[in-house]
Amino acid sequence: SLLTARQLDLDINLKHVDLLKSEQFLPAFLAINPEHTVPTIVDGDLALWESRAVSGYFVNKYCKGDWLYPEEAKPRARVDRMLMFDMGTLYIRFTKYVLPVVFKGSKPDPEAKKSLLEALMWFDTFLENSTYSAGSTITIADHSLAASVETIKQSKISIARYRNIKAWLQLCQDNMPGYEENV
Amino acid sequence: KRLALDYYYAPASTPSRGPMMTARALGIELNLKSVDLVKQEQLKPEFLALNHQHTLPTLVDGSFVLWESKAIIGYLVSKYGKDDDALYPREPCKRALVDRLLYFDMSLHQHFRDWAFPAMKQGLPPCPEALVKFQTYLGHLDTHLRLQGTRFVTSDTICVADQTLACATTTYRELGVSMISHPHIVSWLQRCEADMPGYADICLEGANIMAQCFKEILTVK
Repeated sequence: SLLTARQLDLDINLKHVDLLKSEQFLPAFLAINPEHTVPTIVDGDLALWESRAVSGYFVNKYCKGDWLYPEEAKPRARVDRMLMFDMGTLYIRFTKYVLPVVFKGSKPDPEAKKSLLEALMWFDTFLENSTYSAGSTITIADHSLAASVETIKQSKISIARYRNIKAWLQLCQDNMPGYEENV
Repeated sequence: KRLALDYYYAPASTPSRGPMMTARALGIELNLKSVDLVKQEQLKPEFLALNHQHTLPTLVDGSFVLWESKAIIGYLVSKYGKDDDALYPREPCKRALVDRLLYFDMSLHQHFRDWAFPAMKQGLPPCPEALVKFQTYLGHLDTHLRLQGTRFVTSDTICVADQTLACATTTYRELGVSMISHPHIVSWLQRCEADMPGYADICLEGANIMAQCFKEILTVK
């Protein structure tokens, strides 16, 4: 959602919540978001969480034109499909592979890794005939997916074999303001 | 309305039911095509040619193929709904709340799967720790309903998030998941049963199919 904010040139007042210090459980934050998740935004009366809902809100509310999240049925559906793929397939398979290792000291599970690589393979195939994840221009799906793929890369999973993902990620890096600082 | 919309789905699959509820509310008829996951029909070449990620549900509208249940829901309202359908309002703040709950639904169901699937698919005993996590998530929904104070999840009018969450929570209830700590979910579901088109024959019927197969496996002894 930070990438979306930067793409829209929105002024965001960043408030860091230290999860290691359990700051998400402080009463002041629970009063805003009883589910105590990050990111969370407060825009006047609206408190909103779920990063992809936040990105959608930024565009719906502040974007002149709909280029980042089209209004028309089919192009919007393509963006929604990729947002859901990111959340429900790609990122979840990444967490299932990495989190037990990081938080429980478990050995990496080869089945979980296979599952993640399958998701990357699917994503690579989706990009075969598509410059960006949902079509020929950047959308909020690319913001979401770029953050996920960069996180996957940080855990030493190579994307070198995924030609289309590599090319797409480079495009994201070149065309998303604030890429370096936000991913 | 009779349109040429092919809908590939699995009757027992909870995510399959949300778009069916949306279609019913919009008054459009889906051409239902059941895909047997036990026989691995989703891996048949004809289906892979449509959707090589081989997930359900999948919608075919002419030459447009779409999967991911929530993308399908958005598409149906956008294409076939009223100009600013209360099911999925366009006003940014109202829409944001519906979207937040659609994503919440996805996480909730993931936590359900984490608890239920090892038992359902691999015959392992249900994991109490995973059940606690899942119940915590149900608690978030109950808290939301309490704080929101409206008849349905975002307002006094049914929206698409009510449809997906009703399908999910009805399934959990019929599978024997305790709702004793979630009185607001219980009363909201009663309102859904009374007011939501398709609740009986889509939502409840699908939940009962799941219960027939899996309730016993998931009952903690």
